[in-house]
Amino acid sequence: MSTLTVEHVARIEGHGTISVDVEAGVVSDIRMDIVEPARYFESMVVGRRFDEAPLITSRICGICSPNHAITSIKALEAALGIEVSERTKLLRSLLLYGSYLQNHATHLYLFAAPDFVGQPSVFPLAQTHPDVVMRALSIKKLGNDLTTAIGGRPVHPITAAIGGFTAEPSRTALESLAARLHGAARDAAATVELFSTFDIPAFSTAGEMLAVSAEHDYAIYDGDVCALDAGWCRPAGEYRDFVTEEVVAHSNAKHSTVDGRTFMVGALPRVNLGWDRLLPAARIAAIKAGLRPISKNTFHNNLCQAVELVDAAERCALLCERLIADDGSSTPVAFAVRAGTGTAATEAPRGTLYHTLALDDDGLITAGNVVTPTAQNLANLEADMRAFAPTIAELAEPEFILGIEQLVRAYDPCLSCAVH
Amino acid sequence: MAARVAVFALASDFGCQVQMTNMEDDLLAVLAQFDLSYWQLASSGHVPDEYDVAVIEGAVTTEEHVALLKRVRKTAGVVIAIGACAITGGIPNLAAGEDLERRVGCVYGDDGDIVACGRISPLPVSAIIDVDYFVPGCPIQPAEFVAVVQRALMGLRDVTPREPLCASCKVAENVCFYDSGRMCLGLVTRAGCGALCVSLGRPCTGCRGLADDANLDSARAVLASRGIDERELATALQLYNAHEEASR
Repeated sequence: MSTLTVEHVARIEGHGTISVDVEAGVVSDIRMDIVEPARYFESMVVGRRFDEAPLITSRICGICSPNHAITSIKALEAALGIEVSERTKLLRSLLLYGSYLQNHATHLYLFAAPDFVGQPSVFPLAQTHPDVVMRALSIKKLGNDLTTAIGGRPVHPITAAIGGFTAEPSRTALESLAARLHGAARDAAATVELFSTFDIPAFSTAGEMLAVSAEHDYAIYDGDVCALDAGWCRPAGEYRDFVTEEVVAHSNAKHSTVDGRTFMVGALPRVNLGWDRLLPAARIAAIKAGLRPISKNTFHNNLCQAVELVDAAERCALLCERLIADDGSSTPVAFAVRAGTGTAATEAPRGTLYHTLALDDDGLITAGNVVTPTAQNLANLEADMRAFAPTIAELAEPEFILGIEQLVRAYDPCLSCAVH
Repeated sequence: MAARVAVFALASDFGCQVQMTNMEDDLLAVLAQFDLSYWQLASSGHVPDEYDVAVIEGAVTTEEHVALLKRVRKTAGVVIAIGACAITGGIPNLAAGEDLERRVGCVYGDDGDIVACGRISPLPVSAIIDVDYFVPGCPIQPAEFVAVVQRALMGLRDVTPREPLCASCKVAENVCFYDSGRMCLGLVTRAGCGALCVSLGRPCTGCRGLADDANLDSARAVLASRGIDERELATALQLYNAHEEASR
């Protein structure tokens, strides 16, 4: 038996190695070894003051830091029985969507696109396709400017606090953002168009799909967790009853199953489950690109991220306008510290993110648990790799490896998150 | 010939590498100044045998990291450490100490032996190899990163601010948190961020590391004078500065 390896797969966040065992010319096994070092975040928060938890968990990931901060804040508010204002919820949604624009633009253009144009990175395209690179940077910058306006900076938000925000953008800043966001919907639609021109394999994942969902909203900030095939929706607080995590030897990140099946979270499950609640512009862009639910083609996750860019640009413009019209307050509400446990979920760009935090009467954290999107995806990713590899086994080695890498990248894995 | 730059990540959230891309208006102009030899986050390719400048993000948490750093130091003429994790151990350092095995158990249960192999208690990069330039912060600021890289490429000396943050707060006309009896680490933390957090209503948490002439005794006296238990200073410094505090 021989083993092909791709060490520290490029253009993903974190360190992972693909290993392909070949016996007599046939792929006998294929694995995603997660070599990203453990940082033990669940142990780090124990003993720290409760209001430090969002700051600490934010450092799990440099891309979806707003999601970790907000999910920790929501978990603490659940533990302490704190209700926040509508304005605070609007600001939080905007902050999370800022990370969508930033994450999806980075993943689609910097990480995924080079595979489809035969380049090692996006940088050579600055010479051959300057308009494409400028579009990528423009969407990414808008996401960062949005996150900065609400949170104070692009990475690791400062202003998001338990009970509200410590500072808010000015009305002028919101007006300027709203105008830019309306304009960005065109760039986002062009992104959908671009990704619809890339050839992808006809492949279906056998796994279940999960996403946070709500009746009247695309629901990235709050909602129940719904399963596509099984058809159930359950409160996020019960996640330990339906998501089963186990330690596997080749991965510093745990593997997850639901109802005994591997499953996928992220843009594709969200679009499948939330299709009716996408804004019309996003649905139109999707249909033009040949994408209609239900798709179980993992490679469509890229296209779905692009569709979400259209939705996010339009939706954030509307959120800015609602904030301008709203005369409520986001000043942190007063609360008393007491012992308790809280769980919360949000939809991070790469999928559902769960945080559980417990604190004692002195406000010190006694336990924490974090289940990240990529940790949930890894078992399904490996199942997909095993199913997909035989379908491209006749390709020469470099093309075979590229095919597997494309599958891995389609998940937009974040191994910093997965291991944490 | 343009300097060949390689970017490496140890234990981190990749946030400082993301900040390296978060200067969209100038990214292509910056990249044009050097030959990007290796950057796993942005480009396919293997670690080259030769490069001139190494940019390192993340804390040292495995034996593999130690070996990598020693190879990097032998290869690169200039080593730049970016971000709190690489410079002080940062947030990963919260897991430092003798109870590492308990932490492994806390996260992985009884299965800790089969994962997290070669683990060591977190250390800053400078505990293993000499570092020539530092870009502090959690996360780093893109403009400061570019400025430091340019000084490194030109062989100029490091000009990272050495004084504490308090003067920046005066310039920003912020009200001091100590006036309302709340602790803020600005009085011992390296300046250079423009007091961003304090300006947005949050006390400084010390992510840029201790100022060169930070006076911890004096800081404890300030805490005591405002009715704050002076032991809280050490607790707060554990977030980003446990190694630094221990060495002073």
